[in-house]
Parts: sequence; structure tokens; C-alpha cells
Amino acid sequence: MEIEFQRVGKKYESGQEALSQVSFHLQQGEMAFLTGHSGAGKSTLMKLMMMIERQTSGQILVDGVDLRTLSRRAIPHHRRRVGVVFQNHQLLLDRSVFHNVALPLQVSGADSQQIAKRVRAALDKVGLLDKEKYNPMALSGGEQQRVGIARAVVNKPQLLLADEPTGNLDPKLSAEIMNLFQEFNRVGVTVLVASHDLALVARMRHRVLTLSQGRMVNDGGFA
Amino acid sequence: MVQKPNQRGATRESIKATKHHWPTRRSFSPTKYFRQHQETLTESFMRLVSYPLASIMTVMVIAIALSLPGGLYVLLKNVQSVTDQWEQQSVITLYLFSNLEDTQALALSHRLSALDNVASVEYISKEEGLRYFEQSSGYEQIMSSLPENPLPIVLRVIPTLTVDVNTLASLQALRDQLAAQKEVEYAELDAQWLQRLANILSFGQRFVYALSVLLIVAVFLIVGNTIRMAVESRRDEVLVMKLVGATDAYIRRPFLYMGLWFGLLGGLFASLCILLLSWWVSAPAERLIELYQSGFQLQTFNADEIILCLTISALVGVVGAWIAVSRHISNIELQ
Repeated sequence: MEIEFQRVGKKYESGQEALSQVSFHLQQGEMAFLTGHSGAGKSTLMKLMMMIERQTSGQILVDGVDLRTLSRRAIPHHRRRVGVVFQNHQLLLDRSVFHNVALPLQVSGADSQQIAKRVRAALDKVGLLDKEKYNPMALSGGEQQRVGIARAVVNKPQLLLADEPTGNLDPKLSAEIMNLFQEFNRVGVTVLVASHDLALVARMRHRVLTLSQGRMVNDGGFA
Repeated sequence: MVQKPNQRGATRESIKATKHHWPTRRSFSPTKYFRQHQETLTESFMRLVSYPLASIMTVMVIAIALSLPGGLYVLLKNVQSVTDQWEQQSVITLYLFSNLEDTQALALSHRLSALDNVASVEYISKEEGLRYFEQSSGYEQIMSSLPENPLPIVLRVIPTLTVDVNTLASLQALRDQLAAQKEVEYAELDAQWLQRLANILSFGQRFVYALSVLLIVAVFLIVGNTIRMAVESRRDEVLVMKLVGATDAYIRRPFLYMGLWFGLLGGLFASLCILLLSWWVSAPAERLIELYQSGFQLQTFNADEIILCLTISALVGVVGAWIAVSRHISNIELQ
């Protein structure tokens, strides 16, 4: 998926300006990091891509299509093409790991055979195939995060967004998670990871976008 | 969109760049659609079963709310069928003006007997009337002390129709027609009790209708509130589903089915309650009927009425759920 932000601004009704004049271009199949201090607008930027929020100025083009032209009804179909991973894993505790990962497939109406196949493939990729029957509560933080990643990639999204995916993990687990993202990128998924772990970001040697107070202050070099 | 040909997941359909058709929706597949609905149907039932106490309480409240108008309806139906079978010879009594001569009265009597809807006319002269009166009232002395007979000539008109709830209106019309004769001072149709009964019945009918409307509104509210709480308790799930691209219709569906189940089960239990109640009163009712030796049979909820009850309750369940869920789901937004 190809993403282009053109002088995008987001001003909340409270008057707070979360983003202003943000422009960047993510190529199809590219991987990049988004850094910045907390409150710099990283989450807002991701929400705009997910159409959880709408920008107040500028244009966001996804595969050349202006997101403003999408109706409310088209939002779910847009979201199915985007996988998201959050710091708070947003796993449902009333069902097993398997059923958590299956959710995006159920939502888009896949049949149960297809679901079982794809869920196991996704769990295999994140190394949790043997835990499919567990409740997410019974897993460690790193494992929960990997379940979240499996859920994000299970319906083969074209764009993978991760908001602080290593937030409260130790360095070794963080590196493992990042490697996972890199693997998905290697098979052609566009990946954007928001993280304030600058040391980790630097080691990954990918493009880095830096936000500060809602503005894009650095685009390109390594952090 | 530039898609490298050999990249992962080539299964994905190509994305049209036309603004209004993007992103493309997968073509509608009926089998997939029905499978999803069937899955949701069983899933929502299992969810009710997994909270048995709360579900039973909701279902029972709905059942009670529905069995009240249902039971009254059955009662009304029985009363109506009793009165339908009740036939009685009808009589219209005509009190003629007291200054009328016997010959004029006799002429009227003949004229009336010739009418199509009159079977016969009985002529009661002033003297006969006085005799009846003396025999029945015990006022002989007072009557004999009067200088002349104060009673009018009376004609007892027997119409061809017997009186029951259905013929009442035409008999009343006949009475009015007879009362309009210039010789007649006052005409009385001896069917007041029937008139009262008819009035009570139509009052009862309206009462049942009004009560039904009220209680169906109550069921709406019960279902709506239960569904609202169900949505609230599954807030996290709704959020995650929205995040992974569930349509509003998809999120709504399990709650609508939940409403359907509440309605259906409530209607079913209401029907059972009514059947049970009819069975319970049937023994004393039959003894009562025997006393009157009538050919009347106690009526209960028949199959059509059970189906109607279930349809109404299911409909109320779904619509109640729809209203609650539509309002509530749009309030739950990702942040």
C-alpha cells in the first residue's frame, strides 16, 4: 500500500493542534519508523490512516485515493486492508488466542476452514502455534503482543501499523518483535512503526520520520 | 496502484482507482451471507444460555407482560362465544297514546302484522292491561279507587329476528321505526341486558387493546434496555471489531438475534402460560357450563393465535433490539 500525506493538519475541537503541515510519502512495500516525544502526534497520524479520526486540512492519499472521498460505509473495508498493533494489545479476554486472531477473518466473512488455516499460519509466524487454545491472560506480555501481531497480519493486510508495539517489553523481546515486522515487510507489506525507543530504531536501519509538536521535523536519515 | 506482481497474497482483488468505487466490496455471496446469519443465530443463543439466570429473568418478564393481554384476549373470546350462542325471543312493546280509540289501535295492529320483519302482534286492551296489573302488583284497591283506567293500549310486537348480539342493531332499528308511528307514544325493546352486555364487551375489547399496546411498549423497553446493557458489557469487543473492519451491520447482527431470541422465548412462555391457565380454569368452567346445559365449548389459544403471538413477540424483540443497538453502537467510537 502506498501512502501519501500532503500538508495534513489535525486540529481537535478543543483547539489543540495535533498535526500541522505534515507531508511524507511511504512507497508500496516500504518500512519506516515514526518517532517523537509523547504527544508529538504519532498516534494521531496513525488514527488518520485508520480513519479513526479525520484530518482537518490537507490530503491523505492511499494508493492514490483521497481518504476524504470515502464514505462512512467504506471505512470498514478500508480497515480490513490495514493491520494494526497497539501497545495495549486490545485482546479480548473472553476467548482463546485462536479466536482473538480469527476476529478480522470472521468480520470479513471467511468460512471456518479458511479461518483455521490462516489463523494457524499467522500464529506459526509469531511462534505461538502451541498456544492457540490459551486465554490471552495466561500469556506473558511479549506473547500477548505477538498475538496482537498475529491478529494484525492474519488477513494479509497491505499496510501494517504499529503504535508503540514494544512499549513495555524488555530489549530482547523488543528486538524480536521488530524482527517480526521486518519479516512481514520482506514479503511486501508496507510497515510503519511508531516508537520512542530511539536506540532500537537506530539499529533497525530503516527510514525514520520524526514528529515534534505536530510537525514533521526529520524525514529520511536514521535517527 | 502499483502492485509488484510476485508479492505476497496475490489473491487480493485489484483496487480500482475510481474514487467512488474504492475500496471495492467483495461481491455478495448468498451462501456466505446465510452461513454467517446461521452462525450468529446459534452463537447468540449460546450467549443467552451462558448467562442463564439473567436470560431467564428477561424472558419471564417479557412472557408475563405478553400473557396478560393474551389471557384477557382468551377470556374475551370465550365471553363472546357464549353471548353469540345466546338467543332469545325478542319483544318490542308499544305503548299507545291513551286517547286512542280501540279501532285505531286495532288498525295499527293489523298494519304492523303485515310487515316483513314482524312475526306477530299481540293486542292488549286497556282492560286486559288492568287485569295484568292488578294480578301482578297487588294495587287492586288503589286501581279500583281511580275514576277511570289510566293504562294505555299496549301492542306486543314479536319480530321475526331473535335477539342476540348480532341482531341487536337491526332490532333497534325496527324499534325506532315502530316508535315513529303516530299512534305510538313509547316503544321499548326488551333487550337492555343484551345491550349492556354488548357495551361491556366492546369496552372489554378496547381495554384489552389498550393494555396490549401498553404492554408491548413495555416489552420494547425491556428488550431495548437488556440489549443496551449487553452492548455496554461487550464494549471492548465492539471496539476491536470496529478496528479490524467490521461493518455496523455485522456488529449489530448478534444483538438483533439476541432480541429475536428474547422475543421468541418470551412469546413461547407467554403462550405456555395462557395454555396452562386455560387448562387450570377448564374444570370449573365446564361444570358451570353443564349447569346451563349449553353447547358451549371452552376456547383457548389455538395454533393460529400462538403463531401470531410468537410473530408479534419476535418482531417486537428484533425492533426493540434494533433501536437500542443502532443508538448505542454509533456512540461507541474508537479513540
